[in-house]
Amino acid sequence: MKRLIVLLLFAFTLRGEDAASILARSDAYRNPLDSFAIDVELTSYDGKETEHSTFRVHGKGSDRSVVEFLAPAAEKGKFLLMLRDAMWIYLPSASRPIRISPLQRLMGQASNGDVARTNFTTDYTASGMREEADLWVLDLIARDPSIAYKKVQLRVDRKTHEPRSADFYVASGKLLKRAHYREYTVMNGRRVVSFVEIEDLVRPGRRTTMRYTNLVARQHPDSMFTREALARW
Amino acid sequence: MHDALVHLEAVAKSYRLGRVLVRAVDGVTLAIPRGEFMALAGPSGSGKTTLLNLIGNIDKPDSGRLVFDAVDVTKVPLHKLAPLRRESLGFVFQTFNLIPVLTAWENVEYPLLLRGMPKRERHERVALWLEQTGIAAQKKQRPDQLSGGQRQRVAIARAMAGDPKLVIADEPTANLDSETAGRVLDLLAEINQNTGTTFVFSTHDLALIGRARTVVRIRDGRIDDVRSAAAA
Amino acid sequence: MLTRIAFRNIFRNRRRSAITLAVIVFGAVGLILFGGYKATTFNGLRESTIRRSGHLQLFGAGHSDIASQKPLEHGIESVETLRREVERDPRVRTTAAQITLMGLVSNGDKSETFLATAVEPEKDRAMQATRLESGSDLQSSDQDAVLLGRGLAASMNVKPGDYLTLMTTTSAGSLNAIDVRIAGTFATGVRELDDRAVRMTLPAAQELLQSTKVEKLLVFLHETSRTEEVRSALAGPNVEIRSWSELASFYHQVVLLYNGIFGFLGLLVCGVVVFSVANTIMMSILERTREVGTLVAIGTSRMRVWRMFFLEGLLTGVIGGVLGVVAGALIALLINRSNVMLPPPPGFTVGYPLHILLESRALVLVFAISLTTATASAILPALRASRMRIVDALGHI
Repeated sequence: MKRLIVLLLFAFTLRGEDAASILARSDAYRNPLDSFAIDVELTSYDGKETEHSTFRVHGKGSDRSVVEFLAPAAEKGKFLLMLRDAMWIYLPSASRPIRISPLQRLMGQASNGDVARTNFTTDYTASGMREEADLWVLDLIARDPSIAYKKVQLRVDRKTHEPRSADFYVASGKLLKRAHYREYTVMNGRRVVSFVEIEDLVRPGRRTTMRYTNLVARQHPDSMFTREALARW
Repeated sequence: MHDALVHLEAVAKSYRLGRVLVRAVDGVTLAIPRGEFMALAGPSGSGKTTLLNLIGNIDKPDSGRLVFDAVDVTKVPLHKLAPLRRESLGFVFQTFNLIPVLTAWENVEYPLLLRGMPKRERHERVALWLEQTGIAAQKKQRPDQLSGGQRQRVAIARAMAGDPKLVIADEPTANLDSETAGRVLDLLAEINQNTGTTFVFSTHDLALIGRARTVVRIRDGRIDDVRSAAAA
Repeated sequence: MLTRIAFRNIFRNRRRSAITLAVIVFGAVGLILFGGYKATTFNGLRESTIRRSGHLQLFGAGHSDIASQKPLEHGIESVETLRREVERDPRVRTTAAQITLMGLVSNGDKSETFLATAVEPEKDRAMQATRLESGSDLQSSDQDAVLLGRGLAASMNVKPGDYLTLMTTTSAGSLNAIDVRIAGTFATGVRELDDRAVRMTLPAAQELLQSTKVEKLLVFLHETSRTEEVRSALAGPNVEIRSWSELASFYHQVVLLYNGIFGFLGLLVCGVVVFSVANTIMMSILERTREVGTLVAIGTSRMRVWRMFFLEGLLTGVIGGVLGVVAGALIALLINRSNVMLPPPPGFTVGYPLHILLESRALVLVFAISLTTATASAILPALRASRMRIVDALGHI
């Protein structure tokens, strides 16, 4: 009897560890490099295609990135600085960068940015895990009340731990977005997510796709990720 | 000389009539004794009214010297002579000049009020003079309810009520019919006799001239002739 | 005696005096009516402003610190304690807690920004700040029911019973969204507000913002005049206080505008009175030139002459002032009783009855103005009279 209990306990704790390591490995498919640059091609749909743009994302760690707008021509020259709790936009026509209020992050592509760059390992802890066909379903709770989505339900492949989809929930329990990690490619010598589709569940029919290419490791000094530096990009 | 009530020495007064400078009084020297009943006589424009005004201290001489009751008032501005006029002078006008909104009684009382006389004394004097001038019955009436003769009597009462030293009267009978004028004349002469108050008139009423003790003839601002009735 | 002469002279020329008095009376009546109308308007606007905003608004310390971007960062922690403390003061009638917030509202198809005020429904009803146009009002038990401004309901294409999603960022900075049921729609009278406005209950807002704080506590007093003294009584290091006056910029603009207009009109009226009375007195003096000459001849001092005419002006002012105030008050009472309706003022949708406010203080003031203008008009003419040359005056026809 005692043995059974010990075995069961062991199994559970093994499970707990498993959840954390599974999460880490799953993240590795999405955020493989600490300091990097990557090209993103973004397309929005509301039934049919409504928007198409490209940018280059320069990232360092899980909470600092600069988005450089490349296309369309109207957007070219703009820069977006995304830090943990603040976002700044730099327009070539303005003399200084403008802070984007938390409210504005609800709207438009900034909201998708929140979803795309989420680092599950650093921002969430696994509270539970179960099987579902050939997937692991992990229930993740945000470590900090300032994190955009309070709860995430992540589905990963049981064998490879590739992330398949993630459901993003807000504090009230409402499901706002669902990300599908559809395609994988080898970039920079490793297998990474190359195509993501994000569904807006508040406004059904709207979705955004992001295609990633050209991932390279790049050294960025910390000082580049400041408001003042934004103008110099 | 010192018993003269008023003394004028080479007194002159000019005034401007449009562009012309008129010498109304042109060097008059005259002494008016106390108790006098004097007439200043002359044609219109002779300056008799101006002279009378100077004597009455309601106009100022341009040059010369004016002494009233032993006080040299030549240089004293008119508005400062108000107390003098209040205390020592009485005025009777051709047009009566009563205050229309006051009754006969109040008109006579007015100068006494100016002097701050106490009520009892005022009352006595007003009653007395209304009686003396024969219009006591009309004391509550306003000027517009009185005849010309009655109005003049009120004016005389007003002039006398304060016991003035000098009464000046400018054509006092000119606006009265001959009978009334005669009666007013009698009244004035009687007052002069009884009280010894000095009277100076300017007039061309022959009857008045006839009753005057001294007649001063004025012509072109100068004394033409002085005739005393006693001498006549 | 001088007073007697002055008084009787007023009645000497009946017709002219009647006209002068009539001018003063018209002036006084005008001032009373204009002033009373203005006062009514101010009162009404002030009280309706206060009805919406309370006499005082209490915020958490640091509220006006503009650097903060997070909702309720400087909110009031334990509003019930604060409320009990405030309502202990006998000058306070009631209090109401509120939160204002912004976010996105979506009907599944499109999103709009919204401006919400979270209220305590019974308190809000007592304030009569919202006019319900359809559906039913919020109940304090409602967790998920909201009222939408007329324009917002139209743009979201919803009617009572439908559901919408409200999204915002929480106090901490994360995202949140709740589904709400439309209980009804309302109109504020201001179109730009109606296109964005949402009214919800406090618990719903606190759920959305993930906070237990409130943004402000509205304080309603029994008497508006006590506002400043209560404000001093409530001041402390933990609260920031705004009075209704600081929040009522429209009211102040109206006050300024009306004061300017009526002040100008008042001056015109006074000007007319001054000229009229001065004219009357000057004509009176002219007619009495010989009389004045006589008075001076028989020994009246300059000062006394001046005083005589000055008194005439003064007495005219007193009589005119009394008549004017009485007439003005009577006319005002008549107007008030007759219930004449005025058209709606700018920004409002319904007309209201014409009412002239009568305050004893104002009536005394109008009397004083009538008296002063009439008396002042007499000063210079009287001065001229006192300086008349005797001989010229006597010779005057």
